[in-house]
Amino acid sequence: MSSELAVRTEGLTKKFGSFTAVESFDFTVPYGMVIALLGPNGAGKTTIVRMLATLTEPTSGTAVVCGHDVAHEPDAVRSAIALTGQFAALEANLTASENLVLMARLRGYDRVAAIKVAKTLIDRYDIGEFEDKLVKRLSGGERRRVDLAAGLVTRPQLLVLDEPTTGLDPRSRQVVWAAVRELVAEGVTVLLTTQYLEEADALADQIVFIDHGHSVATGAPAELRAQIGDQRVDVVASDVDGFERLVAALGATFNLTLAPERRTISVPAPREALDLASVTNLIVSTGAAIDEVALRRPTLDDAFLALTGTPAQSVDEQEEVPA
Amino acid sequence: MTTVATADLRPALPALPPRPSSAVRYVRETALLVGRSLRSIPRVPERLSDVTIQPVIFTFLFLYVFGSAIHIPGMRYQDYLLPGLIGQGLAFGVIGAGVATSTDFASGVIDRFRSLPVTRLSVITAQVLGQMIEQVLGMIIVVGLGLGLGWHPHLDGPKLLELAGLIALGLFAFTWFGVLLGMLVRSSDAMQGVGFAIVLPLAFLAGTFVPIAGMKAVPRAIGEWDPLSSLVAAVRQVCQGTHSSGSWQLDHPVPAMVAWCLLITAVCVPLALRRFRNMTTA
Repeated sequence: MSSELAVRTEGLTKKFGSFTAVESFDFTVPYGMVIALLGPNGAGKTTIVRMLATLTEPTSGTAVVCGHDVAHEPDAVRSAIALTGQFAALEANLTASENLVLMARLRGYDRVAAIKVAKTLIDRYDIGEFEDKLVKRLSGGERRRVDLAAGLVTRPQLLVLDEPTTGLDPRSRQVVWAAVRELVAEGVTVLLTTQYLEEADALADQIVFIDHGHSVATGAPAELRAQIGDQRVDVVASDVDGFERLVAALGATFNLTLAPERRTISVPAPREALDLASVTNLIVSTGAAIDEVALRRPTLDDAFLALTGTPAQSVDEQEEVPA
Repeated sequence: MTTVATADLRPALPALPPRPSSAVRYVRETALLVGRSLRSIPRVPERLSDVTIQPVIFTFLFLYVFGSAIHIPGMRYQDYLLPGLIGQGLAFGVIGAGVATSTDFASGVIDRFRSLPVTRLSVITAQVLGQMIEQVLGMIIVVGLGLGLGWHPHLDGPKLLELAGLIALGLFAFTWFGVLLGMLVRSSDAMQGVGFAIVLPLAFLAGTFVPIAGMKAVPRAIGEWDPLSSLVAAVRQVCQGTHSSGSWQLDHPVPAMVAWCLLITAVCVPLALRRFRNMTTA
C-alpha cells in the first residue's frame, strides 16, 4: 500500500517559535505522478519540501518518503531523492563541470565514473557551452540547468524541485519545463513547488493549493480550472464616469468583479474570443474611454479567491527563515 | 505530456558502486569537500585577505611607523612583533572561518550537501579543515615576510615542534569558534563586523605591539587576562625565549594558551555540532 506512494505525510507540522509555518499537512504523492504545491510566497511550500528532504525536522507529524520515515531513516530518504533548491545550490567558485563531478563523487562514484556522469549530464542539458565557466558567472537560466543536472547524478526515485523557475526568463523556463517533462516520461516522480498557476497547470497531474501552512484545495488541473473559472476579460476605464457607465452596460450581461480603486472591471470569459468581442461591442456602445482591455488567464489571486473566498496573501518574511 | 523518445536522450548512467562503511565514506567525503574549499581559493584570492593583508599591514605599520617610537628592552622590535602577530593571528582565524561559514550557509551549497546521502559530520569537518588550511597559508605568508624583514626566531628541533603543536591547537580551537559563530550569524557582513568588534580590541590589548606591563591600569588588567595575551606570550616565549609576567597566564603562557584552547574547543565543538544538526535556515 505505502509502497505505491512516493510521499505520505500525516499531521506534518513545523513551528518556528510562535510562528506556525506548516500546520497539520496531510498529502500523498503516488509514484509516477507530478504533484505541484502551489501557493504565494510564505505559504509554507519551502518548509514542507525541506522537511521531506530531511533538511528540517518536523515539529510533529510524520512523513514517509520513498518508503522511509524522514525522522528515523534520513540517510535512506536522501539516497532516494534529489533536491533542487529555490536558490541554485551550487559551489559558486567551481565551474559547472567541476560541480557536477563533485556531486557525482559525493554520491559515491569514483573519479573516472564521476567524469563520465558529468559528461552525460552536460550533453543532456546543453551545458557544454558553459561547462568550464565558474558558476558565479553563469546566467540565472544556465545556473538552474546545472543545478537540475547536479540533482540528477543518480536517477532519483523522487525529484523535488523547489520553485524551479522563479526569477527565470521565459526561455529558460521552457528549458526547465522540457527537462522536467522528459524525466516524467522516464517515470521519475516529481514534487514541485511554484508560485505560478501556469506552471502548475503545465506540469502537474495534481495541484495542492497551500495558504498559511494549510492545504486549501487539491485536484487535477482540469478539475481546479472548472472551479476557478476560465479566462477573463479585464477592462480598465480612463475615468470614474466611464467606469460607472461601463459597469452599467456590462453588468446587464455579465457577472462582474469590480476593483473601483483601479477602475477595473473583470468579466468572466468562458467563451474567450467570443466574450471578448461582446465586451468590446458593449464598450463601444457606451462611448466610454478605456485605458486597457485584455483577455487573460486566471491568476493565482483569482484561483485563491475562487477556492477559498479570500485573496492569496504573501507573507512578507521569507518562509525559510525561522523566527 | 509531451512525447519524448527516451532511449536516445538518456544514455544510461554508470551503476553506483556499493556503499562502503560509514567510516570510509566519512574520510572520503571529507577529503572531497576539503578539496572543494581549496580549489576555490585561487578563484577568490580576496578570501585569504583576512589572514594575509591584515597581518601584513600590521607588520609594516608597526615595524616602520609606530615601531620607531616603541622601545622593547633587550630585543629588536622585529623579534618582539612577529611572534606576537603569529599568536594573535590564530585568533583572527575566528573572522575568516566565520565569514566563510556564513557565506556557505547563506548560498545554499551546504543545504545541497546535506540533502545528499553523505555523513553529516563530514560536511562540518571539511568546513573546519578547509578553514585551517587557509589560515596556515596566511601564516606562511606572514612568517615569510617576517623572516625577510629581519626576524630571527631562536628555534631548535623541539622548540619548532612545540611551536607547531601550539599553532595547530590554536587554529583548531579558534576555527571551531569561527565556524560556530558563522552558523549563528546570518550574513557574512554581520559576521565580519561582529568578528572585528570582538577580536580587534582584544588584539590591541594582548601585548602584540607594546608590552602589557607599560599600559595604564584598566587596559593592563584586561590585557593580563585577555586570552589573546596568552597566545601572543606563548608564541613569543617559544620563538624568542622571552619571559612575560604580570598575571598567572602571563607567567605561564604555554599552559595558559593550551588551557584557553582546550576550553574554547570543549565549548565550541559540541555547540557547533548541535547547531549544525539543528540548522534550519537556507
